[in-house]
Amino acid sequence: MTSPGAPVGIPPAVTEETAAFWAAAAEGRLLVERCTGCGAESFPPYGMCRACRGRAVEAVEIRDRGRVYSFTVNHQRWLPGLEVPYALVLVEFPDHPGVRVFGRLRGCPPDAAAIGMAVEVGFEPGPGGYAVPSFVAVPNVPATGDPAVAPARGAA
Amino acid sequence: MGSEWFERRAVISGIGQSAIGRQIDRSGFQLTLDAILAAVGDAGLTLDDIDGLAMFPGGGKANLPGYANGNLYEIQDALRITTTWRQGQVEGMSLPFYGPAQAVATGQARHVVIWRTVKEGSAARNAGGRPAYGSVNPSAEGPLAWLLPVGALSPVCQVAPWAARYLHDYGVTREQLAWIPVTQRAHAALNPDAVYRTPLTVEDYLASRMISTPMCLYDCDVPADGSTAIVVSAAEAAADLRAPVAIEAMAGVIDGRPSWDQWEDFSRVGHATAAAMWNRTGLAPADVDVAQLYDGFTIEAVWWLEAMGFCKAGEAGAFVEGGTRIALGGELPLNTWGGQLSGGRLHAAFGHTAEAVRQLRGEAGARQVVGAEVAAVTNVGGYEAGAALLTRWRR
Repeated sequence: MTSPGAPVGIPPAVTEETAAFWAAAAEGRLLVERCTGCGAESFPPYGMCRACRGRAVEAVEIRDRGRVYSFTVNHQRWLPGLEVPYALVLVEFPDHPGVRVFGRLRGCPPDAAAIGMAVEVGFEPGPGGYAVPSFVAVPNVPATGDPAVAPARGAA
Repeated sequence: MGSEWFERRAVISGIGQSAIGRQIDRSGFQLTLDAILAAVGDAGLTLDDIDGLAMFPGGGKANLPGYANGNLYEIQDALRITTTWRQGQVEGMSLPFYGPAQAVATGQARHVVIWRTVKEGSAARNAGGRPAYGSVNPSAEGPLAWLLPVGALSPVCQVAPWAARYLHDYGVTREQLAWIPVTQRAHAALNPDAVYRTPLTVEDYLASRMISTPMCLYDCDVPADGSTAIVVSAAEAAADLRAPVAIEAMAGVIDGRPSWDQWEDFSRVGHATAAAMWNRTGLAPADVDVAQLYDGFTIEAVWWLEAMGFCKAGEAGAFVEGGTRIALGGELPLNTWGGQLSGGRLHAAFGHTAEAVRQLRGEAGARQVVGAEVAAVTNVGGYEAGAALLTRWRR
């Protein structure tokens, strides 16, 4: 999905809550919030724990491999100059049950995207100079057909 | 249970629509006035009876590409009326008549008009294709900040991973999904106002181009131009109305994380809403004679069939396969006006509500469901879900 010139798209509106995420993204790091009280992780960042509603949270980096919960391959050129097709993935992390992140998929042809496939955390240049999540397919890791469904609301 | 629910103190009294088509070369403002005047007349009222105005959406969403509601204050000025209640909103828009029913049930107004005007067909033509969601905004705010920048530029890209997961988990096939647009196209052939009326086959569906896998062209509703207005009146005013329709029950619940990417299992986006609605009525799914279920995408109608209890979770593919159950004459005629897939994206269940009213009045012409007494109407705008039962007026 590397493309010459400025990537076509719509950049994020950065808020006080999300500034740390986008700053870390520029460094290729995936930040989520972890509650200093109960230890649960939450995404996106709200400054409030989604498990215990505690207000004391800290930013932590996720480096683990993720699993593709689901995906789509977009074929439609929604904006002039948009390069298609590309795969989009919803990624979950087995050891980080409060976290699901949407991003692009690279490292394999779009049509190779599959539910359960393993991916590494990554980013790529996105619109407006922001780096956006762009997960990297891990070769030779069989897809687990049934990754864990996201936890119910309020679960740690 | 029953008579104390606020929706029993409200009725849908009028529906009106402008010309509807892929492109209508009149302004959204004129289409809106056409629809409002038609709806007020349909109710048996005059403009001087109207004391509430509402539109969807309001606020900053009112000017997205192809959104053509106009300005509520200019509409009031043009109509030359006095209002005691006004509303323009996105949040809380579980159903078009939800807020107006609250207003008339609590005496804040007696006859409210709500409208939705789209010129998305013209916007698509002018953009050389369907415009990217949010493309008029300089940046993506709120939940969209996690979607648009990575390239999920349209709602179809946002719903598609959920469709893929649903097909994967339940073994539902695209060949089964095809029967929804195919059957609705046959219904649209009986609706002179539908945008697309020529026959569609399962083979056409399977041969159509992919938009965002597994959603193909015919899984997506049709950008259209047109306006729909609905009049909601106090039930105590029934004697003044030409042909009111009762609101038996309605609800709109958000019990998951309200965003496309974080909702726990989006195939269940309507389940809590439907359960809350069924808790407000003695009727049951088997009592429903005709269903107008939101179909911005085929998969949304699939999920509503399951949420509403017309079939069990994961069984909607088998339920719609072959089309016999959901066709006119079947056990649950679905989207008898063609739905948004063929009738046009009138949006936010405005078209669905108008059709439910026609069916319950016996005014649906060649597509009339004989003896229709109970109609289901549902809406889902992303994660803002609403469900209602409308019934023939008996009081």
